[in-house]
Amino acid sequence: MRRYLKLHSIFIKQDLKKLMEYKVDFLLGALGFLLGQAVQIFCLGVIFSTIPALCYTVGGKVVDFWTFEEVLFIYGFSLIPKGIDHLFFDNLWGLGYWIVDKGDFDKYLTRPINSWFYVLCEKFCVDALGEIVVGIALIIYSTLSMPANIAGAINWWRVLPIIAILPFAIMLFTSIKTATAAISFWTKRSGHVTHMCYMTNEFAKYPVKIYNKVVKTAITYILPFALTAYYPAIYILRGESAWSLPVTVAVSLAFFAISQFIWHRGLKAYESAGS
Amino acid sequence: MNNNEIMIKVCNLKKEFRKAVKEPGLKGSFKALFKPKYDTVKAVDGISFDVKKGEIIGFIGPNGAGKSTVIKMLTGILTPTEGVCTIGGKIPTKNRKEYVKEIGVVFGQRTQLWWDLALRETYMVLKEIYEIPDKEYKERMAFLNEVLELDSFITSPVRTLSLGQRMRADIAASLLHNPKVLFLDEPTIGLDVVVKDNIRKAIQKISEESGTTVILTTHDLEDIELLCRRIVMIDKGKKVFDGELSELRRKYGQMRELAFELKNAEDSSKLTYDKDFSFEEGDLSVEMNGSAVKVRFNSDTVSVENMLSYTLSKVHVKDINVKDADIEEIIRRLYVEGGEADEAST
Repeated sequence: MRRYLKLHSIFIKQDLKKLMEYKVDFLLGALGFLLGQAVQIFCLGVIFSTIPALCYTVGGKVVDFWTFEEVLFIYGFSLIPKGIDHLFFDNLWGLGYWIVDKGDFDKYLTRPINSWFYVLCEKFCVDALGEIVVGIALIIYSTLSMPANIAGAINWWRVLPIIAILPFAIMLFTSIKTATAAISFWTKRSGHVTHMCYMTNEFAKYPVKIYNKVVKTAITYILPFALTAYYPAIYILRGESAWSLPVTVAVSLAFFAISQFIWHRGLKAYESAGS
Repeated sequence: MNNNEIMIKVCNLKKEFRKAVKEPGLKGSFKALFKPKYDTVKAVDGISFDVKKGEIIGFIGPNGAGKSTVIKMLTGILTPTEGVCTIGGKIPTKNRKEYVKEIGVVFGQRTQLWWDLALRETYMVLKEIYEIPDKEYKERMAFLNEVLELDSFITSPVRTLSLGQRMRADIAASLLHNPKVLFLDEPTIGLDVVVKDNIRKAIQKISEESGTTVILTTHDLEDIELLCRRIVMIDKGKKVFDGELSELRRKYGQMRELAFELKNAEDSSKLTYDKDFSFEEGDLSVEMNGSAVKVRFNSDTVSVENMLSYTLSKVHVKDINVKDADIEEIIRRLYVEGGEADEAST
């Protein structure tokens, strides 16, 4: 384990050095991301400038509602586990798009370290720092600008258990990417499968209750991204959905086990490419 | 050091691939999408051989013979369908991580170096991956530096290296952890004569000084002639020859090549070697290209003298050239025979 941590830090250092070699590329990437986030937040702002709050109604009666600040908070929170996964474990994307297809996976198998770990930590995606920074900024901004009655409901002690489950939320992202990327060992390419699954996390940036049953079930149980965003955020804000904390841990472990199983079966099916 | 110690044991290795069969064109692709048909292709079909410690063996065969597949099974990349290979008693499918510590791999067409960083950085990372102690690392680096002359470009980014420098750097990278076995897949591909020569010398020196066993695949037969005493040849997934290079020469070394330049191109039809001599199949090949005629034949069956006088009696020639059989010629014949052996067995 210690050896792997050391290796990981070495890989990160190498990748940072690489970054210094391609400064413009990095700056443009960071700028692009910031613009993208700005547009999304701007859209939210526009919508909320015409409506007072996001409401969930049953039979015409308002059952629950979220103010702009709350939605921003949830949105901001959702970026953190996603950003951390993105920062450290981004290389899995490459696996499904080209690494297996071109036979480049060979190199990961000729080294005396765990192949999954090697793929995982070879790339350090600095762009993701933008995601994390934006996430934290949104959380701070939304908390500061909240109406007193909503801000008063926040119990900051509830942040501690959330920090404790954060690694599991991150692992959920990593496991889903691992499992879908490993499909490429059989199909040669599976990047689009990963992309499709990953994109469902866009739903999880907003209160789950506003969706119909299908979407709600999908992001709570099938690709449970809501466990990494809405549920923990609303738990901090209101103390709701405390049940989701142990569920996140259990589901995350299960996804990890499944993804590892698929990975190891995949290694046996890997066919390389002619040279 | 026991020189007869067996380092690599390959036993009845097989690899089958399932390939989707598609009809040509877009229509065929659509059909295959909904009703896929599969064929089983035997890329490697029961190969066995042993390699002794310190041996350099040439692993050869025509394109698509299954060479790469065998190498990839031996390097732990592919899982065999059947059979086992072991290096120093270790089995790649059981404990890949322990197994790959014993080997070094260079794929000539692909680099294992960190592309964007200074070459030195690659070695630093490898040092950590293989957990090489500082002292050993320094000694090893000094040795590799001396043999492969890395000094002049060790601080340059890998992407700026020339192909020859990159190959030297790649070989050094694969040897840093002092592996027992080194796999070299086309190490001289695309290199000029001088660089090729340097690399061959380096390989030889490393094998001698570190006792490294080397498995070399190549299409450059000069590599084989200069480096290997033993060759293993495979074709269509089967082993067709395994023995010393000198044995090959003794067996197949009687081939000669005669090249003529005719005065009149039309005369070439008068030369009917196949009818006028009784060669066995594979012992004679004739190439006619305008006024140029090339005859390859077994000089055990018909002497060079007879061949010459026959030709001169039939046509007028401007120029004659007699060539000894080189290893390339021998291999060509072997490829042909391998093909026949395969046909006979099916």
